[in-house]
Parts: sequence; C-alpha cells; structure tokens
Amino acid sequence: MLRLIAGRIVSSIGTLLFVGFALFALTRSGPGSPARIVLGADATAEQIAQFEQANGLDRPFVAQYGSWLSDILHGDFGRSFVTGRDVAVEIFNSLPVTLSIVLFAFAIAVGFGVGIGILAALRPGGVFDRVSRFASVVGLSIPAFWLGIVLIRFIAVDLRWLPPGGYVPLSAGLSAHLKTILMPAVSLAIYYVAVLARMTQASLQETLRGDYVRTARAMGLSSRQVVLYALVNALPPVINLAALSFGYMFGWALIIEQVFNVPGLSRALLNAISQRDFLLLQGIVFLFTVIFVVANLAADLVNRVLDPRQRVAA
Amino acid sequence: MASLPTNRRQFLAAGAGGAFASLLPASLLHAQPTNGKTLTIVLPSNPITIDPINQLNHDAMVLGQTVFENLVEYDADGVLKPQLAKALPVISADKKTYTFELRDDVTFQNGKKMTAEDVKYSFDYLLDANNKALRRPLFTRITKVTVLDPLKVQFELSEPYGPWLYFLTKYMGIFPAGSRKEHGDDYFKTKPVGMGTGFGMFEEWKPNDYISFKKNPNYWRKGLPAWDRLVVKMIPEDATRVAYLLTGQVDIISAPPPREFNRLKTMPGVTGASRPTLGGALLMFTNNLKAPLDDVNFRKALSCAIDRKTIGDKVYYGLLDPSAVPAPPRGYWYDAAADKELGFDLDRAKEYLAKSKYPTGAEIDISIQAEPYLLDTKDAAIFLQAQLAKIGVKINLKVYEFSVLIQQIARGEHQMAMQVFMSPGEASYLIQNTLTPGQFLSKSTGYDNPELNALMVTAFAETEQAKIKEVYGKIQAIIARDAPLGVLGYVHASNLWRDSVKDFKVNQALTISVGEVKV
Repeated sequence: MLRLIAGRIVSSIGTLLFVGFALFALTRSGPGSPARIVLGADATAEQIAQFEQANGLDRPFVAQYGSWLSDILHGDFGRSFVTGRDVAVEIFNSLPVTLSIVLFAFAIAVGFGVGIGILAALRPGGVFDRVSRFASVVGLSIPAFWLGIVLIRFIAVDLRWLPPGGYVPLSAGLSAHLKTILMPAVSLAIYYVAVLARMTQASLQETLRGDYVRTARAMGLSSRQVVLYALVNALPPVINLAALSFGYMFGWALIIEQVFNVPGLSRALLNAISQRDFLLLQGIVFLFTVIFVVANLAADLVNRVLDPRQRVAA
Repeated sequence: MASLPTNRRQFLAAGAGGAFASLLPASLLHAQPTNGKTLTIVLPSNPITIDPINQLNHDAMVLGQTVFENLVEYDADGVLKPQLAKALPVISADKKTYTFELRDDVTFQNGKKMTAEDVKYSFDYLLDANNKALRRPLFTRITKVTVLDPLKVQFELSEPYGPWLYFLTKYMGIFPAGSRKEHGDDYFKTKPVGMGTGFGMFEEWKPNDYISFKKNPNYWRKGLPAWDRLVVKMIPEDATRVAYLLTGQVDIISAPPPREFNRLKTMPGVTGASRPTLGGALLMFTNNLKAPLDDVNFRKALSCAIDRKTIGDKVYYGLLDPSAVPAPPRGYWYDAAADKELGFDLDRAKEYLAKSKYPTGAEIDISIQAEPYLLDTKDAAIFLQAQLAKIGVKINLKVYEFSVLIQQIARGEHQMAMQVFMSPGEASYLIQNTLTPGQFLSKSTGYDNPELNALMVTAFAETEQAKIKEVYGKIQAIIARDAPLGVLGYVHASNLWRDSVKDFKVNQALTISVGEVKV
C-alpha cells in the first residue's frame, strides 16, 4: 500500500513538472507583454525595453524557466510584474474565497447528486427516477453563467432575498457568509449534481444486479444491509468522477466568480491573463494543477480504503 | 504515512475536519466595511496603481484624484480653474514662464503644510528620467521649477506650450518634499497614506474587490467631502454592476451598458445621465503607409461611406456624438466644415473611390479590441462591414486583446484598427499623438505633414480660445483634405446613481468626480 502511494506521488510530481513546463512555455509564447499593461499605451520602445530588462523578461526562455522552477521549489512564487505584490500572498488571500465556494458547491453536488442517484436506482421508473432524469437534462443543459445571471435577476434584484454578489467571510457570521456563497455555489454545482446523479444511479443499478447481491438477499440480509453493501461497491466510479468534478469546479469558478463579482482566485486569474501578469498566472494555474492532482490521488486512496479488491490487486 | 486514517469513519471525519478548516482562513483575511456615511462607487476595470504620475486607466483616475491634487484643475465641465493655486498662473509675454501663487491654507494628509518646495519637489521627481514616471513625456517641456517664496513657484518651459495645464488633473499630483525617497514608489502605488492634499485619505486596498478611503478631516475646502468613507469597488461584469446598483449595494456606477442605459435610468430609485466627453474618441487608425490606405482618395472614400449618425443613434443608443474629424462636436475648437467634408455621403464616397488607385474596391483587415472599453467596438465594426460593402470594400474583422492590439497599433503593424481613445479633453493631445512624428502613436497612421506640424507649434503657443480655435480650424481643414485618421465620433460619459446621491455631476473627462457628492 505504502509503495503504491509512493508510486502515485512520484507520478504526480512528474505530472506537475510537465504541466509547469507547458504552462511556462504557453504563457511566454502568447502575444503581448506585461510592459504594455504596466507602462501604458503611450510607453516608448525604450521604456518597454527597460521594463523587460528590469524584470528579466529579456532573458532566454530556458533561463527564465530555470529561475522560476528553482524559486517555486523554494516556495517563492515571485512578485507580480504588474501590481508588485507577492504572488504567494495574493494567492493566499484569494484561495479561501474560491475554496469556500467550491467546497460548498461540491457538497451540494455530492449531496444532491449521489442522493438523487441512489433514490432513483432503488426505484427504477419511480418518482425519483423521473426526477433524476429531468434534473439531469436540466442540469446538463443550463450554462452555469446563464443560471447565475438568472438567479441574480430574480433572487437578488426582484425578490431581494440574497445579495447580487460579493463575498462576506465566515467571521462576519454564518448567515451572511452563506447568503453570499449560496447562489454562486448553486450555479457551480448544478451541472455536477446532474452528472453525479446519473453516474450513481447507473453504477448502483448495475451493482444491484450482481450475483453477490442476489446471494446476499437469499441469505436473508435486510434490504438496508444489501443496499449498503451494494453502495460501497458502486461508489468507486462515483468517487473518481467526484474527484475530477472537484478539480473542474475550480475551472468553472472562473466564470462564476466573474458573474457574482467574487474576489477569489479565479477573478485574480482572469486579471492575470488580461494583464499578462505571467508570474501570478503561472502561480494560480500551477495551484489548480496541484489541486487537481491531489484530488485524484485522494480519490485513489479513498477507493482503496473502500474497496478491498483494489488493495488486493495492488 | 502511518498516521493516515485507516477506516472509513476516521477518513470521513478527517475529510470533514479538513473542509471546515479550509473555510477558517477566509474569516481571518477579510475586513468588513464600517458603517457611517459611506459612498460606494463602481469601476468596470481593475486598477493597478493609485499613483497619478503612473496612472493608465481613465476610470481609475478617481483613486489618484481622491488623494492628490494639483495647482489647477480641469473640472467636470471642462473648465480650467485654480485648485492648490490661488488663481490661474501669470504667463509671461513670451509664454514660456508660468508663475503660480499657492493657497496658504493647505496641509498634506500627514499634517505638513503645503509650500512651493513641495510643488518643486513633485515636478522635479516627475521630470527626472531616472524615476521612470509614465506620464513624464507629457511634461518634458518644463525645463526648470523655481521656488520664488514659500507660496510662489515659477515654471520655465523650453518653448511655448499651453496644453500642459490641462494634463495636470489626470496625470500629476503634488506630494510632500522628500516623500518619494522616504517611502518608495510602491507606497504611492498601493497605499499612499498621508501623501496628498485631497479630500480622501487612503484606507485599504483589497485586490480584485475594493479600495477604500476615509474623509480627510482637515481638507482645505471646508465642509467637503460630505461622506465619511468612500469605497471604490471593481465589478467588471455589466449585469452584475447594474444588479449592485438596483439592489442598493452601490451608489454610483460608471460605464453602464449602452443598450440598457435609457431603460435603467428610469427605474425606481435610480437616476442616470450622460454627457459628451471632450476627449474620448472612437477612432479608426488608418495606416497611411499600407495599401490600400496609402491612397488619399481611398481613405476619403472610406470616411464618406460611413453613416456615423446611425452608428451613434442605433448602435450606441445616443452615447456617441458623430464626428469625422479629431475634434468633439461640443468642443470649442470643432470645425463643422471639415467634419462635413469627411462626413457621410455615399455618392461622394463612390466618386473618391473611382479616383483612387483601387477603383473597384479592396479588402482590409480591421483590428478590434476583444474587451469592451466604454463602448464595444465590435458592434460598430460589424455595422462598418455592411456599410463599406456598399462601395465594394470588404472588411475582415480581427479581434485582439488590448495589450496585443495597442502594441500592434503603436508599431504600425496594423492595416486599420478601431479603438476608443481617451485623451484629457483639450485640443492638442489626440492630433499630436497620432498625426505628428516622434509620438507614441505616430506609427498608428504613419502621417507626417510639415504644414500640420508647424500649425501645432503655433497652437501650443496660443492661450486664448479664439486664436486656438482659428489654428485648429486650419489643422482640421488639412485633416479633411488628407483624411489621415478615421474618426467615428466622441463617446459620452454616462453614469447611473441611486436617488440618495445628491450633487453628482457626470464628468466630461469620464472619471467619476466624488469630492462634492452628498450621500
């Protein structure tokens, strides 16, 4: 088990190194320079050359990449060319905002998605099965940004139940905090509720058709016990999908934070892209990659805890 | 590894604990706005500095103008009036020496009295090339600043150059002597506490969220400001910005979406107004050095084929005043005859095209900006495509981000480019930068005409409006003859605000003016 975990960690580091290189190459290959953003439209060629020299942007690509990688390994994400702020501090300030929305959305997605999926699987053709099918179609069809705008229009502007956007931290009170993250989280979660519901339903239905389930029933186990056993065996693909969804949610949060004016990591990322703030851009995308890789690693480990067959196979 | 949870229950408990813990830092990182008379305004963009000598974005200039002030102010109505000076400057007969007498009742926000030494220090800092102030090129004709007495300061210029007074409000500010060395540039960029004489004192900057200021209790204009706290929020999304206003989360917003503006300003609890800017032009940078725009008749054909009035009325819902010359129709220096010469007339457009080297038409790439700024230029570009097709000119739209587009234009790599260009709102800036050599946008047109260059020098030396108008009349006649730069019109500054806001005036210079606003 430990050897397996060590192997997965080593391969994850390999993935991060590859992504880091690709990320660095892509940010540097695009047109546009941060000098234009910082120095303005009317900057002279001389001013731009001075800026690029001062910030090491005129150095060869490999030299720049080497410095960045070395700094990252030392925990130094550098200073933003544009704002002059420490990139690590900027990320640290924004991460909790995004994380609270993504975690809430993830809880909604898993709670409702898996819940609806289980109920639908237990009564094929029943009310929950129909609800699940309908919810899946709706969830998969509605773009998150559109749902966000609709929620703002009706819930915030017309009904005045929730604020139209922004972010209030937990320290200001649980109620105020939830009010600001509810609409963004729902907008973010709706697609994943549909996806997880379908996956849970399909996986559980297939498991319930298994020989060992029939044997368990024949041995006189209660329906509750049978379902629980089946559920444990049906969960691995759902967990894998949930882990992937968790990573993807950080990507979708890009749009959601923009719609709801949430000052989170994704908002910082969009600004970094438009301002050609290379170091901040690389820092945030690298962090997203780490989250994605760690979520998948965690899913693998959970599956091994839940499913003895995987431990034996390993 | 030995400490990893080994069963499901432990694992779930550890997961829940981790999720809860991840929420906690948020509570420790975000201060809450305080109560009191707070004025909250919204910008559509994310500023990168408060420092006026390095400010880029015209919306964001409200930040610098809250903290810093200048000798004179180019105000919301486009009137030049004294600010830290007692009166407008005394100008010498050769128009190369400007003498200002300063107010005696001004203190910086750090409690220090403002004197002529501070003014000299501020300008000396700006003009020192080693300090790399972004706005230095606008003021390089100032050769010497002399302190005549503690409240009198004199500026010597290398040649007569009147426009510099109009550039102060947007691009300069007075700060205490020695302050740049003491605090460094980053301090002025992100937290200039105590550095200005303005009505607002810097309080906090939460990146991507808001910047706040508190009232300067010792402000020299007694009774101002009428608020206790100013919060400048950044909300890039149009719909969200409007929702914030409609739900009373903010008091004033800038750049509302044009197609919604007329509807929104009649909503209950909301007031709206717009006024033409004197310096915000929707331009078509025509590269005179590249075919087919190297032909004057072809350029004139393009200009005459564009129905600017329809663009203003139907595409931008009245938020664009049509003009074919680089002068706003409401500006005193505007020349109607020149405008008419390049204005919409399809028959003349066809005649010009027939006389050009490209009588059967041509194909042009037009570069436009992906992110809307004030107006979405993509809307006009699509309309233009249809209009120019009528004279046989095919337009290919190429969309670029701002940082890429501006680089392309500055280097002259474009064929034609469309962009909203903001200038301080006086007569010279736009023409000088795009149509005379040696400027940062000279290559945007590639135009160089000694006759026009000489007239610009004459205009710089004039200080009386009537004479300035006369010179610019001649300049616009040359532009009408050569059509070196495409102009579609001048944009309106527009704002929406809550009814609870009083004494708010839309600024012809675009930047929201908040000093005299009451909440």
